[in-house]
Formats: sequence, C-alpha cells, structure tokens
Amino acid sequence: MTRNLHTRIDSSSLIWVTIVFSLVGLTFTDRSHAAEADITAKELVEAAIDQTRGISSYAEFSMVIHRPDWERTSSLKSWTRGRKDALIRFIAPAKDAGNATLKLGNKMWTFTPKLNRTIRLPYSLMSQSWGGSDFSYTDLSRSDNWLNEYDLSIASVTTEDDHKIYTLVAIPHDNAPVVWGKEEMLIRDDYVMLQHTFYDQSMEPLKTLETLEIGERDGRMMATRMRMVKLNAPEKYTELIWGEADFDVELEDQMFTLFYLKSGE
Amino acid sequence: MPITLLAQLSLRNIVRHRRRNLMLLMAIAVAVLTVLMANTVIRGMQYDLREQTVSNLNGHIKVHAPGYLDDPSIARGFELAAGWEPKINVSEVEGWAARIRIPAVIMSERETRGIQFVGIDPAQESISFLSKAHYDGQPLNTSSDRRIIIGKEMADQLETQVGRRLVIITQGSDGLNREAGFRIAGVYDTEGTAIEKIFVFTGVTALQNMVDAIVVTEVSVRLVDDAFQLSMLDSLLRFFADLEVKTWQQLEPLAAAFFLFAESAIYLYFFIIMTALIFGLVNTLVTSVMERVHELGMLRAVGMRPGAVVMQVVIESTFIMMIGVALGLTLGWLIFQLLPPVLDLSSFSEGFEKFGMPAKIHLRLHVSDMVLITVMSMVFGVLASLYPAKRAVKISPLEALRL
Repeated sequence: MTRNLHTRIDSSSLIWVTIVFSLVGLTFTDRSHAAEADITAKELVEAAIDQTRGISSYAEFSMVIHRPDWERTSSLKSWTRGRKDALIRFIAPAKDAGNATLKLGNKMWTFTPKLNRTIRLPYSLMSQSWGGSDFSYTDLSRSDNWLNEYDLSIASVTTEDDHKIYTLVAIPHDNAPVVWGKEEMLIRDDYVMLQHTFYDQSMEPLKTLETLEIGERDGRMMATRMRMVKLNAPEKYTELIWGEADFDVELEDQMFTLFYLKSGE
Repeated sequence: MPITLLAQLSLRNIVRHRRRNLMLLMAIAVAVLTVLMANTVIRGMQYDLREQTVSNLNGHIKVHAPGYLDDPSIARGFELAAGWEPKINVSEVEGWAARIRIPAVIMSERETRGIQFVGIDPAQESISFLSKAHYDGQPLNTSSDRRIIIGKEMADQLETQVGRRLVIITQGSDGLNREAGFRIAGVYDTEGTAIEKIFVFTGVTALQNMVDAIVVTEVSVRLVDDAFQLSMLDSLLRFFADLEVKTWQQLEPLAAAFFLFAESAIYLYFFIIMTALIFGLVNTLVTSVMERVHELGMLRAVGMRPGAVVMQVVIESTFIMMIGVALGLTLGWLIFQLLPPVLDLSSFSEGFEKFGMPAKIHLRLHVSDMVLITVMSMVFGVLASLYPAKRAVKISPLEALRL
C-alpha cells in the first residue's frame, strides 16, 4: 500500500519535472531569439545616441530657423554628461545670447538673462517650441526613455555606398507616455543617424529629422547638418549645423547646476 | 347698497361697450400670456442651470479635504474605508460618488491642453451628467478601467478619436511627475462645451495606481429633492467633521446667484408688462366714467353714496381683469401643452454652445406661478381702478344733471 503510493507520487512528480523542463527550455529558446533582435536594435539606438555624445561632449553648432519670409541663424554651445544631463547656451545673436537650457535627468530649466530668472519647465510646456524652432523641449530632453518605452525592431537592412543602413521601427508600448504611433529611424552601420520620422497614430508621418551632411568630428563620424521639418509645412524647417565637437572631454560637475545655468558664460 | 346690485351695474357697463372691452380683454389676455410664456422659459433656464450645476460633478453637497479647494492636488486627498457611504437620511439620497479630481496635462500628437483628470467608479456616476451623456465609443466599465473618456470638444481640439492613445502628465503623491499613455475608450457629448473641454475620466483605481495614493479627493451626494439639502448638510457636517462640507451654492456661487436672480426676473418681467398694460386699463375706465357723467350724476342725485360709486368702478375693473387673466392663463396653458417639453434653440443660434450655454431649455410651468400671476393681476386691476373711481366720485350731481 505504502509502496504503491510512493510509486504514484514518483511518477506524477516525474511528469511535473518534464513539464517544467520543457517550459524552461521553451522560454530559453524564446528568450535567446528575441534577445538577439532586441539587443541589436537597442544597441543601434544607444550607439547612435552615444555617437554624438560620448561619456561627455562639448559642441558648437548653429541653428537656422527657416520660414517662407524670414530666416534666423543663432550660434549655440552645448555640453553633455552621460545620456541624461545637458546644458545648451545661445552665444549669438546678441539678442538671444545667454539664453540657456539645462537638463538634469527628466527635469529641465531655462534661463533668460534679460529677466535674470531660471524657470523650471512644467510638463505642459515640454511639447512647446524650443527657442522658436521646430524642435520641442521634448525633442531635446528625450534620450533613453526610448529603451524602456518602445518595442524596437529592425525592419530592414539595405546597403548603400559600402554602408549598411538599418531601418529601425520603434513602436511605443500601450501605456507608454508617447503620443506617436510609431517612430522610424535610418541608422548607418557606423551609427550615424540618417533620418528619424515621427508618425501619428493613424501612421501618417508628421515630422522628420533628416541628416543632410555627414562629417567627422573628433574622430567620430556624425551627422553635421540636420533638418527638422513638419511634413505638412515643408517650407518651414529648422537646421542644426555642427561646428567643432569634442568627445569624452573633462567637464566639471558644477557645469550641470542651476547656479552655473544662471552665472552663464 | 347691496353688492349684487353694484356687480350687476358693473357687468352691464361692460356689456354695453362690447367692442371696447373686448379689445381690452384681448390686451390683458395677451399680456398675461406673454408673462406666462416668459415665466416658463425663465423657470426652465433656472432649473436647468441647477440641474446642470448639481450633475456637473457637484452633487447637492460635496465633501473635500480642508485646503483642497485652494490647492487641488492629490496631497489634499483623504482615505475612505470600504462601505464608506454614510447611512443617514437614506430615503432622501439618490446616490453617492467618490472621486479623485486633480489637474493634469493631456497631449496628443498635435496639441497639448490642461485638464481636470477625474478618477471615477462608473457604477456611482448615475448621479452625474456622465450617465446622460452620449458616447462615441463606450463609457468606462469599472473603477479599475485604465482607459479614458474625453469630451467631444477636447477630442476636436486634440485632433484625436476613439482608440487613440493620449499622454497624460500629472503630479503623484510624492510631488514628482507621473506620465503615462491612456487609450481613449469613448468620447462623451454633453449639452454645451464647457464641461467637454475640462473633464477627462478614468477608473478611480487606475488613477490611484498612477499617483500612488489610495485616496479620493471628493465625495458628492445627490439628493432626491432639493428640499432635503439643509437637513442633509447638517448631518454631513457632523459625519465628516474633519473635512470640508459644502453645498453646490457655496461651490458655484455664480450659478447660485443666477438661480436667485431668476426669481426676481420673473417679478421684474411681470411688472414691466403689467405697468404698460395698466395705462390702457386706466384709459378705458376713465373713458367709460366720463361717458357716464350724466348717469352717475343721476345715481348720486337719487342717493347713491360715493363709496358705492367707487365700488362700482372697482368691480368693473376687477371683472375685466379677471376675465382677461383667466383667458390669458387658459391660452398659455394650452400653448404650453402644445409646445415640445424641450425648447431647442440650437437651430437658431449655434453661438449658444460656443459660449458654453446650453441651447436646450426644459420649459416649466409652475401652478404656484399661475396663482401668483392671478393674484398680482387682481391687485393691479384694483390699483388701476382707483384713479377712474376718484374721477367718478368727483362728479357733482348738480353739474352732471345740467348736461
């Protein structure tokens, strides 16, 4: 009687072990499959972002805001630290000089020397235009929420002029704080971002950030002229043109403080 | 002199000039009719406004944490135990609702707007406008429904539609921002656009999860009848002793002021119309007195007392008034029965909705108002006869007989 019971228990536990093992095996194979694609897509984006930043960076660039009846060019300097912190300051024209934006993690502040005030940007303003350009504060501040809020996949790979070009599709998760239906990026195999298009939720492209020139700065290939344009108004656009850029530079921690934002330079 | 004889005399005088008095009767009837019609519209607007204010998430009485009204944030929430509904004056209560209402920012691909983000238990919202709204898509299912419903006007402004995702940013209980995407379950359509532009709803549990606080910011109660408000207020002030208990009149002083003003507007309208009318009445009575100088002089000469002369004129005026008012009220009542219960002005003026005013008025006819009009008209009738009566008394019999 007892022996009988034992054998019964043994046989049933054996079945369990088999089921558990096969399940584990399944998830393992599944994981490795998904992981391979996942990591590559994620790596691509991370690398593309890091390409223009490094561990830290210093860059000089100009911004051209183009409208059908006028055009304005400003000069700016930017410093970045890691993927989360950045400081951008207007240098010219004189009217805008000193205006600066500081980003620490998810928070942003602006400083206007004429008012001598720093303003912590409320979230309601994040989608507004930055410095009158076609970039929003969100465009500036977004960096690696990417990695958590989207399903990234490589849609296609093409070859052009000895370069592989990856087409990356990023579809936000259902509860992600992202208004777009999807985003599509063209990234070259040397991590130069060629194009970044934002689609609305009916999958119509709304705006695109495209690379017009590619060059080398401080030993890295990067987009040196980019244009942000809303697709329903192609005659209005904003271009960023990079001048000098240095990567992995020594930056003092005090650069990324509110005090420094106000003191200006 | 017996009053019946006087009444007989007055009646005869009325019948003697049929055409003139018929015209006067018509004038009174039409005046009373206009007053009555204006009354139904004003009463309709008045009660519609109250209904709107009460169902606009206020209820008859609402409970907040102290300080919430000055600083509406999740930090000013309060906890409710399960089965929190107070068991007081149960028969007078239509329903209770507990909600979270906090300011937030909503974003679509194209637009950003400030909103009131409201977490509700859909089962409790039979007491608010949500139960009467029309939906494109569907309303929320349960209190843990993580989708949102937005107003039609808001959907237009954000250029979005049912099934799309919107990003909502608000402050959590720790003071830090929370942002998340929400699917639109449905788009609600109410009378007027003011509400549609402000309120975005989701399940209360879903919102509690987002802000990391198992609290609500308001409890509102809707009563079966407005008359129970005071006694309920008394009970609630004791029940929620450490919270702020306010009536809709305190929460929406402007609406309450309008509600009171409508009361005087009814009198005002009556006085304007009746004052215009009274001149016609005085004129007719004076004419009829002047026509009868000879006759009245004769009556005085054979011994009729001045008081009886006055009475005669007053009775005449009251008669005319009475018949005119009866005619006007009957006519008004008939027209009211024929009119649709809801007066829809939207086809005449789309602007109404743009100003946030409802274009629909639920006409109301109160019996008390009809009584009021009758009584006041009678008073006016008597007042109107005073001057003609004075003229009649002043007739000297001697001079009159010489005519």
